[in-house]
Amino acid sequence: MELDDLKNSPVSPHDQAAQQQLFSGIIDRMTAAKYNSTINRIAYPEIAGSIICLMAVIYIAAHFHQLDSLYLKATGILSIAVLLALSAISFISLQQLKMKGDPGKPYAVTLRLFATRKMQFYRLQKINITLSYLLLVTVIVLMARFFNGRDITGSNIFWISSFSIGYLFLTFFSGLVKRYYKNSLKQTEELLQALQP
Amino acid sequence: MVTEQQKGTQVDKKEQFITAIHACEGFIYRIATVYTHTTDDRNDLVQEIIYQLWKSFDTFKQQSAMNTWIYRVALNVALYQLNASKKRVPTVPVDEQVLDHHDNDDSGYEEKWKLFRTQVDTLNLLDKGIIMLYLDNKSYSEIAAITGISESNVGTKLMRIKEKLKTQVNKNK
Repeated sequence: MELDDLKNSPVSPHDQAAQQQLFSGIIDRMTAAKYNSTINRIAYPEIAGSIICLMAVIYIAAHFHQLDSLYLKATGILSIAVLLALSAISFISLQQLKMKGDPGKPYAVTLRLFATRKMQFYRLQKINITLSYLLLVTVIVLMARFFNGRDITGSNIFWISSFSIGYLFLTFFSGLVKRYYKNSLKQTEELLQALQP
Repeated sequence: MVTEQQKGTQVDKKEQFITAIHACEGFIYRIATVYTHTTDDRNDLVQEIIYQLWKSFDTFKQQSAMNTWIYRVALNVALYQLNASKKRVPTVPVDEQVLDHHDNDDSGYEEKWKLFRTQVDTLNLLDKGIIMLYLDNKSYSEIAAITGISESNVGTKLMRIKEKLKTQVNKNK
């Protein structure tokens, strides 16, 4: 393959007409201000997730008076804290999707920022899994209280099973995240190295 | 109320924008093609690049040449869109849609593009950007201005990229 043969050439000669049509259509919409960034559409599921977390926070806060023992109160507070943290993580992830500042800055500057944010994203994913497990345990305790009127914080079986299942859950999902992101992380690290002056 | 003078400036701005975009149309399209894997994602990326260019057209301060600015925005937006496209379900791969349904007249030529697409995916994002600028006939100094790395670094990287692509192609033969 001679790279120079591809210099200044269209992706496909047959595709040129379609390309021109595509550009004319987009430019017309753009200059007539009839287009919104696609990033906003992608944000909707993230926003929906955050709204669900915040609704759960409101529900727990509104029924907080039903949590009469110290353990239940602590579980309630912990649940609210975890739900707020999950919303915050979702918000941070969303911010990372958006392009901020001058889009005309040099490519290497954006790449460095992109790679750094990617590393942060992996860290957030790990925190996300740990918090999800914690929430799983606290929600079971709260559900039992809110919907059945039972306090299961004194049950040894509950704590033993939730911690052993939780350990398996964490090991399995941490391994999954590690395997899933291993290549991507390696590539990001290599990219950061290549960007060293 | 919009005065006649403001209307005139708006028309001038629009014409200037359209001329600038058409001059770099080929590059934007190629960037959108190599940074995405489906037709929908490619078209979305082209839209997003033009949107960002139009949005920041007023803030373009002539500190760099118009072309340099357009190339930078195109590459930067492609990076951000990478994150976004991962959150969607893939539809029709670009290769099938763009490269497989044509007549056989240019099959050799299109075969080269297809092969290049496969190989370029193995490069890191910096190298990918550099090789795309090289294919757009940009000089080392222009590539350096667009990417923000030194001219000598551009030379070294280009040499390594060509070597890597050559080795890969030979290995796959």
